[in-house]
Amino acid sequence: MSDPTLQIPQGWESRAPQGWEWQTLWEAIETGDHAYTGQKVQAAIDAKIDPRVILDDGLFPGFNLQSDRFSAQIIFIPEMLITARAMKKGLSLIRPLLAAQAEKPVGTFVMGTVLGDMHDIGQSIVTIMLENAGFNVINLGTDVHPDKFITTARANNADLVGFSALLSTTVYYQKVTIEEFAKAGDRKRVHILIGGAPTSPEWAQECGADGWGKDAVEAVRLALKLVKEQRQAWN
Amino acid sequence: MSEKVTVTFIDESGKTRPVEAARGATLLDAAHAAGIGIEATCGARGRCRTCRVKVLKGELSPPTIQDLVQLGDEEVREHFRLACQVKLIADCTAQPMPPREEAGHKILSGGKTVTEDSRLEIDSGVIKHVVRVNPPSDENLQTSDVEEVLSTLPVGTDRRVPIEVTRKIPSLIRTNKGVVTVTTFAGGIIDVEPGDTSAHLYGMAFDIGTTSIVGTLMDLKTGEQLAEVGSVNPQSIYGGDLMSRIAFAQFDPKKLQTLRAKALNAINDFVEEACTKAGVSANHVYKIVVVGNTCMHHIFLGIDVTHVGLAPYAPVARDLIVLPSKDVPLKGAPNAQVCLLPIVAGFVGADTMACVLATRIYESEQVRSLVDIGTNGEVVMGSKHRLVACSAPAGPAFEGAQIRNGMRGAVGAIERVHLNGDVECETIGDAPPIGICGSGLIDSCAVFIDARIIDASGRLRRERRELLTKALRDRFVDTPDGCEFILVHKDRSGRNEPIVLTQADIRQLQLAKSAIFSGVAMLQQVMNVPNADLTELMLCGGFGNYISIESAVKIRLLPELPLERITYVGNAALMGAQMALLSEVERRRSLDLARQIEHVALATHPQFQEIFVDGMNFSGTTFDAEKKSLAKAARESKLTATGS
Repeated sequence: MSDPTLQIPQGWESRAPQGWEWQTLWEAIETGDHAYTGQKVQAAIDAKIDPRVILDDGLFPGFNLQSDRFSAQIIFIPEMLITARAMKKGLSLIRPLLAAQAEKPVGTFVMGTVLGDMHDIGQSIVTIMLENAGFNVINLGTDVHPDKFITTARANNADLVGFSALLSTTVYYQKVTIEEFAKAGDRKRVHILIGGAPTSPEWAQECGADGWGKDAVEAVRLALKLVKEQRQAWN
Repeated sequence: MSEKVTVTFIDESGKTRPVEAARGATLLDAAHAAGIGIEATCGARGRCRTCRVKVLKGELSPPTIQDLVQLGDEEVREHFRLACQVKLIADCTAQPMPPREEAGHKILSGGKTVTEDSRLEIDSGVIKHVVRVNPPSDENLQTSDVEEVLSTLPVGTDRRVPIEVTRKIPSLIRTNKGVVTVTTFAGGIIDVEPGDTSAHLYGMAFDIGTTSIVGTLMDLKTGEQLAEVGSVNPQSIYGGDLMSRIAFAQFDPKKLQTLRAKALNAINDFVEEACTKAGVSANHVYKIVVVGNTCMHHIFLGIDVTHVGLAPYAPVARDLIVLPSKDVPLKGAPNAQVCLLPIVAGFVGADTMACVLATRIYESEQVRSLVDIGTNGEVVMGSKHRLVACSAPAGPAFEGAQIRNGMRGAVGAIERVHLNGDVECETIGDAPPIGICGSGLIDSCAVFIDARIIDASGRLRRERRELLTKALRDRFVDTPDGCEFILVHKDRSGRNEPIVLTQADIRQLQLAKSAIFSGVAMLQQVMNVPNADLTELMLCGGFGNYISIESAVKIRLLPELPLERITYVGNAALMGAQMALLSEVERRRSLDLARQIEHVALATHPQFQEIFVDGMNFSGTTFDAEKKSLAKAARESKLTATGS
């Protein structure tokens, strides 16, 4: 397998002012330099570059490179996390501008760790990656009661709900939470994704989830695929 | 179509045993229902190979993805399957065949004994009173047999005599001139025997670990150790690590009883074995101290562990417990009082309390730390002024689980790795290598960091391998699934294929070691103790004995302290149990200490994530930093070249 390489966006020069360069931002995201990321993104905004262009040409190349490396296990959680944080910094500046342009989120995703489980890192990485992919993510944190998932999904017309479990003793609550969605009559209104170290594709099937991702990158890919599939509408 | 199928199990000696099972049940369920012990270390989730069977005859459900992942195409073609994955659809014949590397691993016992602790004053609380009882002789006197016995005993003896003892009294005090031996524990009568048996006063201490159970028989008069027993915890067949054990029994009282019976039977057998070894009667075992983590403690007592496994992971009961053996029940030692040490929290149990007792960390002037490296490790830190504790669950990587060629520390496991231009591996028992155990994993990563095969971020070198020797270069394999490093080439391997360390294996190790490292670091932060002020770090438990401390520091499993400050203190849990066995002062002290220890919940601590993520890194530099410094060196060399 050849190592992932930086994919330089074609024709970026035509979308940026004369003399502009993105290389330093790609590197800043890659190495997780969130201070520089903030400065450079702000400079781009001040230079009146379209926020969509800043996102696609400025932020994504470095981020995608690290995501691919993470997926291939070439880099690990610490490096992925600092990249994700730098990315988040950049996004926080751009998101209000995108909203002002009435750019709609790809979908609404309710995320959390199941009842009885305090693990946070995995789902927080997935959250940032989903946000980067354009989702509106509502993160409920850890130790989340099934009712909380249901009411939040309802209140926000969620397209997808995802919950992680990191203990052999708490995967049980993935199943319980899905059952509660069914009891509430909301199971067909959302796609449900599960994940976490003790889970497997077989478990996803057994507990009635719509999908399982082995890592954050796969979770995002799956979410993008599922969000296009037909569901029952929210009342 | 019949709802039942017959599975015929064949054991190693060729003996067959037909078992009836429901169609659709798994082969593993069928085996367990029939009492056939097939280990399923991962908790029957298809994530390990311990339940491997060879199917000799009959039709089965198709292999699952888990079968293929764990066993590989070739084994599946040869009819090897995972018993937890196979669903029964017709009659069949199967032979349990756990992989060789899972069998017979090292169990830690022995080491330093408590009698070497010169400061321990023996006061087990068990006293034998040899007395002469005069049976009532005058009808006008309002008395009874029991009252006559009590009149010979010290004032303050509990007047409530157990009914079993009362039943023995009438005949005993009327034979042998009324000479009897009355045994009391903490002022309460526990037995009466004919004649003088004061020479026979024994007790046992047990440490019920998730992986193994060890125990010792001791003379309660002299403190001498008379026998030692131990084995793998027989509950292991229902899940190797603690969490899968809890998951097994969760919400199901029957399964809890199954686990409990395994522990009770083992303890009964150990009492018998130890007494036979020492040539003493089990009737003379009067006190049994049991320590174990919260889960083992609860299961031993038949207490539901469902909620111990769920946040906020609270134990059901925490105090000192003393029970007559019939209430446990432990039939093997009918006269014993069974004592359990207190618990601090759901994952800081009675075993940790025993370690605190044994190491006397509570009277230290300077700050010391106590670390149990394990699947569910614990860290205690403090001094006479303050004690804090946390659980540091490393997961099963140190036991070789979820490592491609991982195995427990058994014969043929790589336990040391050296570098001498090329890689050299030492195995347990000097046998041909068949896998790598936790200590080998730690050692190999430490050595590879120095050799620049791995960098500080845990990345296997992918770039500029020409900087390495050819022998090392040739050990890299790039597969579609990622990079691997060959530890032992096929021709030297004991398993007809090379033994490799994969990038994913290193990632598993990083997660495991950071759990321990960040546990220590968090307590240091809570106590405000920099490395310079941490006087001693004591390693206890089985695993601490086998690792190279130098390597553990190198990979940042342990904090960077001068090596002489890191010591191995043996099976401190068992030693603490022995102390509580021999001394009531120590046993009662454990309760004071348990209430004094502050429990730090890592997961909810605001700084934990930062520390945990940082803890995943090894020491040293990254290849990226190396790349930069090389580039800088190149620029500078150009500069000097042009300058001259």
